[in-house]
Amino acid sequence: MRIYRWLLRFFLPALSRQYGAAMEEMFERRLADAQRAGRIRSVDFWRRELTDLFTLAVSRRRRVDDGRDERSPARRLLNGTGLEFRHAIRRLAGTPSFTVAAVLTQALAIAANVSIFALVHRVVLNPLPYPESSRLIDLDHGSIDLKMPSDLGLTSGLYFHYLHHVRTLESAAIYQVRTVTVTGDGDPERIRVTQTTPSLGRVLRAAPALGRWFTDRDAAPGGPPLVVLSHGFWVQRYGGAPGVIGRSIRVSGVTGEIVGVMPASFAFPDSKVDGWIVDTAREADGFGTWDYNGVARLQDGASLEDARAELNALIADAARAYPNDPRAAGNVQTRLIFTGRTLQEATVGAVRRPLWILLASVGVVMLVACANVANLFLVRLDGRQRELAVRRALGAGRLAIVRTFLTESTLLSTAGGAAGIVLAVIALRLLVAYAPATLPRVDEIRLDGVIAGFTALLTFISALVFGTLPLWHATDVAASLQETGRSNTVTRRRHRVRHMLLGAQVAMAVVLLVASALMVRTVQNLRAVNPGFDPSSVLAFSVGLPDRDYPSVDTIVAAHRTIADDLSNLPGVKGVSVSSCLPLAGGCNGNTLLVEGRMYPPGTTPPLALFRAVAGRYFETMGMRVLRGRGITDDDVARRTPVAVVDEMLADNFFPQEDPIGHRVASNLPPDRPGEAPVLTWFTIVGVVGSTPLRTLSDPRRLPQLYLPMSHGRGPGGAGPAQIGPGISTMSYVVRTTTSPLEMIPSVRRTVAAFDRNLALSQPRPLQRDLDRASAQTSFTMSLLAIAAGVALVLGVIGTYGVMAYIVRQRTGEIGIRLALGGQPADVARQIVRQGGLAAAAGILAGLATAFAGSRLIESLLYGVSPRDPRVFATMAIGLLVVALAACWIPARRAARLNPVNILRS
Amino acid sequence: MTPSDLEFHVLLALGDGPSHGYAIGKDVADQSGGRLDPTTGALYQALRRLTEEGLIAPAGAPDEVDSRRKYFALTRQGRRVAAKEAERLSALVRAARQRRLYSERG
Repeated sequence: MRIYRWLLRFFLPALSRQYGAAMEEMFERRLADAQRAGRIRSVDFWRRELTDLFTLAVSRRRRVDDGRDERSPARRLLNGTGLEFRHAIRRLAGTPSFTVAAVLTQALAIAANVSIFALVHRVVLNPLPYPESSRLIDLDHGSIDLKMPSDLGLTSGLYFHYLHHVRTLESAAIYQVRTVTVTGDGDPERIRVTQTTPSLGRVLRAAPALGRWFTDRDAAPGGPPLVVLSHGFWVQRYGGAPGVIGRSIRVSGVTGEIVGVMPASFAFPDSKVDGWIVDTAREADGFGTWDYNGVARLQDGASLEDARAELNALIADAARAYPNDPRAAGNVQTRLIFTGRTLQEATVGAVRRPLWILLASVGVVMLVACANVANLFLVRLDGRQRELAVRRALGAGRLAIVRTFLTESTLLSTAGGAAGIVLAVIALRLLVAYAPATLPRVDEIRLDGVIAGFTALLTFISALVFGTLPLWHATDVAASLQETGRSNTVTRRRHRVRHMLLGAQVAMAVVLLVASALMVRTVQNLRAVNPGFDPSSVLAFSVGLPDRDYPSVDTIVAAHRTIADDLSNLPGVKGVSVSSCLPLAGGCNGNTLLVEGRMYPPGTTPPLALFRAVAGRYFETMGMRVLRGRGITDDDVARRTPVAVVDEMLADNFFPQEDPIGHRVASNLPPDRPGEAPVLTWFTIVGVVGSTPLRTLSDPRRLPQLYLPMSHGRGPGGAGPAQIGPGISTMSYVVRTTTSPLEMIPSVRRTVAAFDRNLALSQPRPLQRDLDRASAQTSFTMSLLAIAAGVALVLGVIGTYGVMAYIVRQRTGEIGIRLALGGQPADVARQIVRQGGLAAAAGILAGLATAFAGSRLIESLLYGVSPRDPRVFATMAIGLLVVALAACWIPARRAARLNPVNILRS
Repeated sequence: MTPSDLEFHVLLALGDGPSHGYAIGKDVADQSGGRLDPTTGALYQALRRLTEEGLIAPAGAPDEVDSRRKYFALTRQGRRVAAKEAERLSALVRAARQRRLYSERG
């Protein structure tokens, strides 16, 4: 909409002044009509509206009656140097194939650059949408001894400790993203909420659109749960009714109240959050666990380094701040470090490199396109040598001649830029529609002034470069005038320029082809990774049991077992099981692990392992291989047998030389009170299963995993330190089906509702989707890079062909003479192919060298393939050489087939 | 003046009384059986020219609608020009029919 307003003002300022608002209103309604009619209709609608604006601006039909200059800026530009532009238009219209080729090539390159630049600018460069967002930082920690350099997050106790002493932070908040079930006002629904301290509003300086944000008093324990809705959820569940403020809402079985609605632009920490609830963590709870994320606003004038220094100093005191909680000392002892980054870095750091690489690659496409257009201009320049020579002989200055070309190139680039931005609008919509879920800030992507400026800059630069080409290309007046019209040899120097253009294009195409081939190999390798489980025909979802209705471990275990049994009786279900954490869902729950009989000297930390609480038959249902011993059975769950199954990695790391089965392990829990001996629960290892990935398939930071019967998990509250294992109120279900997993959703939903109508399924999806999502980001980068490489290849081949065809045409006379004097057609063809081939080969070598030198830039995106993989380099080089030779061979063959008699006569 | 094809259709669309851009555009598309479907820019260009020629004039809008809308109405001269154009077209149709180039059934 805003784009339309700008373009209207630019192309038709008079009309816009008079009717702008009315036109926007009409445009909006027509756009809405077109959108209702489908995607193709709306694309067509945009194309028609925008081209009409352009043609109306340029058309001469309108009369200027009053004295004022009513011509549009676009029109004034055209008439700016009066005659010059009119002549240029006429000349360009006289050579339509040149004009169309030049405009289209530039439009394609500009569209690619503008759309990827828009992505980089809006996602990576643009400040986060909070006031003074450069002062926002992410409060993250790492531990040297646990070999976790970052990503630990924050504990509530550490947060309160910081709050009391910190000087470099103006405000701070902790939060965790959870899913909760809301009931009342319609069906029960699982929603994603950010549970946060009220201070989050101060840190982000966020104001609600309706109602209010939380106050510090709302965090007092025992109060009803208060909810602030996201704009999206407010519209979806409440139809955007302003009366929702004060309405009651049941959150996980407890009746609370809706107090506010945030504006659509507010999404923290990401746009998939449906609302915010108050976190009631208290200092009296002690040091706490690493369940939280933290965000803070730096004091005005303080830097991130200041905060880093101060907080790292404060960590050392944390043990003294909680003298009654041995966990504080235990944690500090693992050499905790504060690893804060700016919030922007924490949000977009992971996608920065791939996006910049994409921008660089479309930049290369731009260069290839420029080389192509430059060649077109050179061809045109040659055709006009005589005309220019005459003009100079008649007294035209060099500048006057340059102006002629500058006028043409300005027209062409402007048209290319205008068409380019229209294409970019379409491309951006496609990019947003197909962006992977892991790409942050997708909802912020749109065209803005900076992007319009970038387009103008690209257009301006290309106009300048092509317009001044003839300057580099000194015109020899006398020679041109003396020529009798047949040039046999004078063009040799110009051919050298052309060969260089050809080589440069090929070189750039090689770089992109190598990069995209490496990405293709990476995606292939990721697809080939054995995830350690069989995701096909498995429906996954989670069910959360509200604390009030299911207050103890026994009731929770019984509920999950009953639901699982009911589900396994459904037709089409082969097996059902339950886990506290599925593969690729992240770390979930972990602690350091003790092995019976091994001593850890004071001051050292045992290694970390991840804990999963599972129901019986979990490994069978997931299709995970039991390598040794046995899996966990329903009987283990029912009797709370103290057994554990470890994964291959745990077996290798903890028991490198021996059989882990029969050993006993325990979660390294601190004592209840300082000085006492800790109460440990020892689990006997009864089996070893294959490892499964934690977050991504290529994650180098894997951790050992341990599976326990779910009856050893933690119930609501879970405060007692003797409680071990992961929380089991919310569990992930896996249902192996004989049909398509999606078809099972309705009957699964009915079964769960029949057990307890206040329960809702959260995120029902085929398990395969988790696996696809794990490589989605890489596939996305690969696809865009492959498109860029494809465009560069096509443009490069067209360019090679164009250069060779032109050289052959220029040399027709010489070739005719050689053929007439007895030269063999095959020799002629071979010579032409050799010249082009040499230029292409030089280009390929230069490209390979560039790709080799730049290989470190792309290294972090690759998996299972070296950035200097000789096979990839060789394949691309040979493939491109073949294509380039073919592009040279076609004009060469035509030259060889010439009839010398015809040539010499003409 | 002789109105262009689009301008004539706009005059026709205003024959029933004052109207605004979006509605005029829809009317034109309907009348012409989809042959003409003017874009926002093209339609307002025509509206502007017709206003300058005095064939249509801005008209008051009903209260309850979007305040950005502008309403247009036929002037007396506009009615005359539309009638004359219709006469011209019908004369053309008569001539075509006499030469058996066109019959009512199409």
